[in-house]
Amino acid sequence: MELALLLNTSTLLTLTIILTPILLPLMSNKLQNTPTSITHTVKIAFLMSLVPATLFMYLGSESITSHLEWKFISNFKIPLSFKMDQYSLMFLPIALFVTWSILQFATWYMATEPYITKFFSYLLAFLIAMLMLTTANNMFLLFIGWEGVGIMSFLLIGWWQGRAEANTAALQAVLYNRIGDIGLILSLAWLASTTNTWEIQQPLSPTQTPILPLLGLILAATGKSAQFGLHPWLPAAMEGPTPVSALLHSSTMVVAGIFLLIRTHPLLANNPTALTTCLCLGALSTLFAATCALTQNDIKKIIAFSTSSQLGLMMVTIGLNLPQLAFLHISTHAFFKAMLFLCSGSIIHCLNGEQDIRKMGSLQKMLPTTTSCLTIGNLALMGTPFLAGFYSKDPIIECLNTSYLNTWALLLTLMATSFTATYSIRMTLLVQTGYTRMPSASPTNENNPAVTNPITRLALGSIMAGLLITSFILPTKTPPMTMPTLTKTTAILVTILGIMLALELSNMTHMLTHPKQNPLLNFSSSLGYFNPLTHRFTSTNLLHTGQKFALHLIDLSWYKKMGPQGLADLQLMATKTSITLHTGLIKAYLESFALSILITILFLH
Amino acid sequence: SEMSKDLLPGPYPRTPEERAAAAKKYNMRVEDYEPYPDDGFGYGDYPKLPDKSLHERDPWYQWDQPDMRHNWGQPMHWDFDMYIRNRVDTSPTPVPWHIMRRHFLIFLSTMLIMFGLGGLYPSYRPVGPKQYPFNDLYLERGGDPNKEPPVVTHYEI
Repeated sequence: MELALLLNTSTLLTLTIILTPILLPLMSNKLQNTPTSITHTVKIAFLMSLVPATLFMYLGSESITSHLEWKFISNFKIPLSFKMDQYSLMFLPIALFVTWSILQFATWYMATEPYITKFFSYLLAFLIAMLMLTTANNMFLLFIGWEGVGIMSFLLIGWWQGRAEANTAALQAVLYNRIGDIGLILSLAWLASTTNTWEIQQPLSPTQTPILPLLGLILAATGKSAQFGLHPWLPAAMEGPTPVSALLHSSTMVVAGIFLLIRTHPLLANNPTALTTCLCLGALSTLFAATCALTQNDIKKIIAFSTSSQLGLMMVTIGLNLPQLAFLHISTHAFFKAMLFLCSGSIIHCLNGEQDIRKMGSLQKMLPTTTSCLTIGNLALMGTPFLAGFYSKDPIIECLNTSYLNTWALLLTLMATSFTATYSIRMTLLVQTGYTRMPSASPTNENNPAVTNPITRLALGSIMAGLLITSFILPTKTPPMTMPTLTKTTAILVTILGIMLALELSNMTHMLTHPKQNPLLNFSSSLGYFNPLTHRFTSTNLLHTGQKFALHLIDLSWYKKMGPQGLADLQLMATKTSITLHTGLIKAYLESFALSILITILFLH
Repeated sequence: SEMSKDLLPGPYPRTPEERAAAAKKYNMRVEDYEPYPDDGFGYGDYPKLPDKSLHERDPWYQWDQPDMRHNWGQPMHWDFDMYIRNRVDTSPTPVPWHIMRRHFLIFLSTMLIMFGLGGLYPSYRPVGPKQYPFNDLYLERGGDPNKEPPVVTHYEI
């Protein structure tokens, strides 16, 4: 009994610890924030969050607490109900660990930033919104967190607001997320009207849930998690500072869409059409993003597309009705992806702002710690046996191979797995090996512990996290136990194929001269032509039509057509039709009068 | 103070003198000046500038207003707020538009058709017919209890 109280109290204490840097400066002038104080706060919150996680792991205790309702007026209230189940209790320490490392890194990366405390406050506000999203038991609270992460993403991507490209990217992120929000609000409305509650609970009926709210949820996940169709904002979001990319656009915010589907998976499990949609959409996203990552030259863009591809893989797992595996992949992915971003940030700063991998090389000798951790991260991403990524990626591929599913989705996911290996090896080869292609006087150093400590901490996490999580959490569904050797080793074989492809390509690059332009290369490096086609076409038409309506048609209709000119036109039309009758044949009229009078007199007689 | 009447946009120019005056008003050459056609939409004598966004203007030139890439006195496009750097980009793409559209639609349609085919021919583990015990459930399926059930062997050792 006391342990349940301990679970609840420690979780709430964690959330309160995170709130203190926002609340305390409001109370007193002396208690101001500093970047290091915020970092320490998050570190303490991480240590505190280990308590409920351990309690869950050893006792299996979960809890749903419905606290005070924040009442505005009699009918409208925000119900503060928190669900501490395996997903939120496991996500809490992982998110806090990753955030602590990123904040510590940001004290070095953003050291020359004049508004660094505001930056840290923004990151903290984002973290609060994200944790609210994950611990919410009520869809309304989840929606508040959802919007919160969207707004903080906008503010953080456009952090260097003097840069027009950053503003455009932030706007892009907000617009694409908004389109996803339409789907979320649709499903919220359906939930409210059909089940009369917004609490997340088990499904009421064994019959199929109607497809419309589920499509709404899938649309929300498409927008937030950058699936194909609403994906362009994620590579564009790399305009923001690297800590922002590491926190938001790799570990936490972009998984919010997948998290929503994990939370509502009882609804999805009933409807095979929705599951197939998730599967096909995820497969398409993962392959498309992996194809685009093959020809990118900006190190941050490669990692961004890698994130997009892994999100597609998570969507595929949801489509296989395996929410727990999807969550496992979210957890392990957070570690190595954040680490990849932090390593790239360290490299970028060391090369004085250079982000193009064609201008890097031989960094293995100059930045040993960073590049070793980069290698560990890439290996974990590729699913190297017994690193973190293996424990989540390999079961997904195994379940893919042993399930009854769409063949093309299976093929696409396997191709994407091999492409993952290809672009990771390409990045490694171009960044770390070979002869150096950078200017000689670059301030390459790893002296500051604020750089090496977070990266090595996350490297430790990338190696151990998979093993730790799977050892302590029981699977809810029976994994496939028996399969032929070829099926079991498919992931490894496909990855090795990808590595061989990458080595072959790098060999070709060194032997041949300038690559000729071919349609496939153009398609991949222009991101499938999706960006220019959709952005230019829709916005031109929308803005043109809007301008035409606002400036011309409204004036034309109200001042002219509804007023004097319209009246004149109507009168003109009436007169033109009636003037045909005015033929002026007086004699004929007089004759008709006489004839009708004669006939009347004759009848009266 | 306000602008004087002759500096504001006016009605559609009908005579060549009016055209020259309008071109002078908008700081343009008479050869470049081309008003919108007079079809009742209220453009007046405002010049019809080419529909090019600010992305296409030289980023390195020292403009008077660098964020708008605009010099003082330069005539602004009627839809200028559509063509700023946060909005529509009309700069030429490396690949022509019709090729982009064609390749993208080929990609999309191929994916959709293959997904359809993949749904028609799904992949699954090898399965066999279901084997029931008790001589293929002879009694449960309404077989005669007095008669000898037909022997069913599912395996051979």
